[in-house]
Amino acid sequence: MSGALERVMDAVDIETFLVCDDEEEGKRLSLQLMNELGFKDASIVFIQHQGPGARVRIRGYIYKPGDSYAWLFKKDN
Amino acid sequence: MTVQKKKVLLAPLDPVHDIGLKMIKRGLDQAEHDTILLPPDYSPEEIIKTAMDNDVDVILISRTLGYRVAEILGSFIDLAEASGIRERVRIGIGGMAIRPELAAELGFDAGFGPGTTVEEAVAFVEGREYVKEDVSRSKFKKDMTEKYDYTFKNKRIENLLNAIVDGIIDYVKNKTTPGVERAKIRERMLESTDETEVLKLKKEYARLCDNVVKVYYDSGALKEKTRHLTAEELKALETYLEKLKLRINPLKLQHADKNPMVFIQYGTGCPFMDIAHIKTCEAWGADGVVHFDPSWGARTEGFFEGYITHEEDGSVITYENLRIIKDALMPSTLWQVRAHRGLNTPETVLLAGKVGADLTKINIAYGSLGGGTDPERLTVDAVAAIKYAARFDMPFDVVTNEELCGVPAHKAFAGMLIVTMLGLRLGAKPILQPLFCYSPEVMISGQMRDNYVDFNAAKISALRSILNAPIWCGAPIGFLTQTEDRVQSSLSTALHASLASVLGVDGISIASADEAYSGGPISVAARIDTLRATQSAFRFFGHAEITPTRNSEIWASQIVEGIESTLDSVAKNGNFVDALYRGLLGSRGEGAYPGRAGRGTVTSL
Repeated sequence: MSGALERVMDAVDIETFLVCDDEEEGKRLSLQLMNELGFKDASIVFIQHQGPGARVRIRGYIYKPGDSYAWLFKKDN
Repeated sequence: MTVQKKKVLLAPLDPVHDIGLKMIKRGLDQAEHDTILLPPDYSPEEIIKTAMDNDVDVILISRTLGYRVAEILGSFIDLAEASGIRERVRIGIGGMAIRPELAAELGFDAGFGPGTTVEEAVAFVEGREYVKEDVSRSKFKKDMTEKYDYTFKNKRIENLLNAIVDGIIDYVKNKTTPGVERAKIRERMLESTDETEVLKLKKEYARLCDNVVKVYYDSGALKEKTRHLTAEELKALETYLEKLKLRINPLKLQHADKNPMVFIQYGTGCPFMDIAHIKTCEAWGADGVVHFDPSWGARTEGFFEGYITHEEDGSVITYENLRIIKDALMPSTLWQVRAHRGLNTPETVLLAGKVGADLTKINIAYGSLGGGTDPERLTVDAVAAIKYAARFDMPFDVVTNEELCGVPAHKAFAGMLIVTMLGLRLGAKPILQPLFCYSPEVMISGQMRDNYVDFNAAKISALRSILNAPIWCGAPIGFLTQTEDRVQSSLSTALHASLASVLGVDGISIASADEAYSGGPISVAARIDTLRATQSAFRFFGHAEITPTRNSEIWASQIVEGIESTLDSVAKNGNFVDALYRGLLGSRGEGAYPGRAGRGTVTSL
């Protein structure tokens, strides 16, 4: 995990618009995008497909409750 | 077709939530099916037993909580199989925690996620395919001016406007400009089928252009940061649009009849990206789109030709660029091409009319005091432009963005009313476009210290007390109240849209959630956000009212008094163009500077 990602409190949301034929393709592309970006624990928070594509909010979790949070052990804390 | 009556068991497999099932029960009852609704918190065993005891045809389960959802629903299906009812009973599952793929994976016959309609659930019970309403068939172009007769209720203002407009019509008689002449030549070029004549006309046209455009007509070289779109790109666009046409079923933003038409503004620089944004906005319910051209285009004499893309804000106006944008629009989408400032206003309106635009935008006062065009030049050009608007039956809005420079609303409105009267006298259909935003005037004077409602309401009330004309709030609504945060920005836009709707205006122009961001082009996601927010706001208020405070009435009266006194001073001055130079419709001290582009280019015929 990079230094900056360690400082994310819990998750990274990607807000974008994916050009796709239907919602199913939009979902597949959403998860593929997160995978390509290196997020191992990704989920789709919101998706709405209309004609040209899908408005999506995709989430990559860095920490979930119960994990050991690296930002907690930051040296200057 | 007769639908067979079904016996349906509705059961919330959830500790508390059953609202969705109650709504579906109502829909099923209305469709005359027999329904049994169980209370929440029944166990899977109790639900299956009720289904068996009542010999039901369909079970509809709901589940809102996501906690252990797969495990609970999986065991429900196992139990249904073990009891022997699975083969003859169709089982559907819905609720916030449900996704169709999860439902299918667990063995349900259907899964209804968030956003499912009652009609969808009824269709499942009746065993028929659900066909989503095709909004595109019920959407049609509206004429914003249709229900207005332009009767003046304030006769003193009407008389003053008539006197001022008499002077303008007299002033422009026997005067012309390179812009007026180019429009005439362009029309002949578009109508000619004789190539030799067209070449001759092009030379004539080029002589009336600035050097950067002349070079294009001489050698084909374009301005820096612009390029021609390739044949390959044009072909790919055609294919993209053909495919897209088949799957566009737009949303509708309006919830109540009184909700105004919603316009978005585009001008990414590239006609292809513009089209991609327009199609997305159409899909998310926009009723109209407004073309923004580059600011350098307004300061340059003459237009290029062909399909041209540009690397900075504003999309280049050419006949071809306008044509591909027009061809990409849904038949119900209103399309406006702005011609409110600059050195090409008559030709812009001509091209817009020839291509088939529905609306244009013209205002001498704003264009010359806040838009950088010389007042005399724009007065002569605007009269020609308004005549084209009348000829092509294209209503035009009279935008008052000089308020953003600091000009007080009453002076901006006086200028707007002069151009409105000029439009009416020349046979056109003007639309009032007051700013609906946080203007410098109120920042300094404090009318919006408490709320954004009163002063905006005062403006609409003042205009309504003067004449019966359409009102289209601009541009964009909520300007200077939005921040770079998309949630705050979308909310602010939606609240202004609600206020405009409650005040009964005919149209609004909305920004994207990127309105306050100046670091780069607007993203399409940011456009969707404000459209969705506006739709939610219309749904929230319906026919409910917003009550301004007493200040609104006081300020409305002050605005009307200010308009009268401004018009009085312009009429007494005797010359509208001179009044613009002298600051009677907005002074240098207020932030209005008479433009210099095109100064000294008006000639006598």
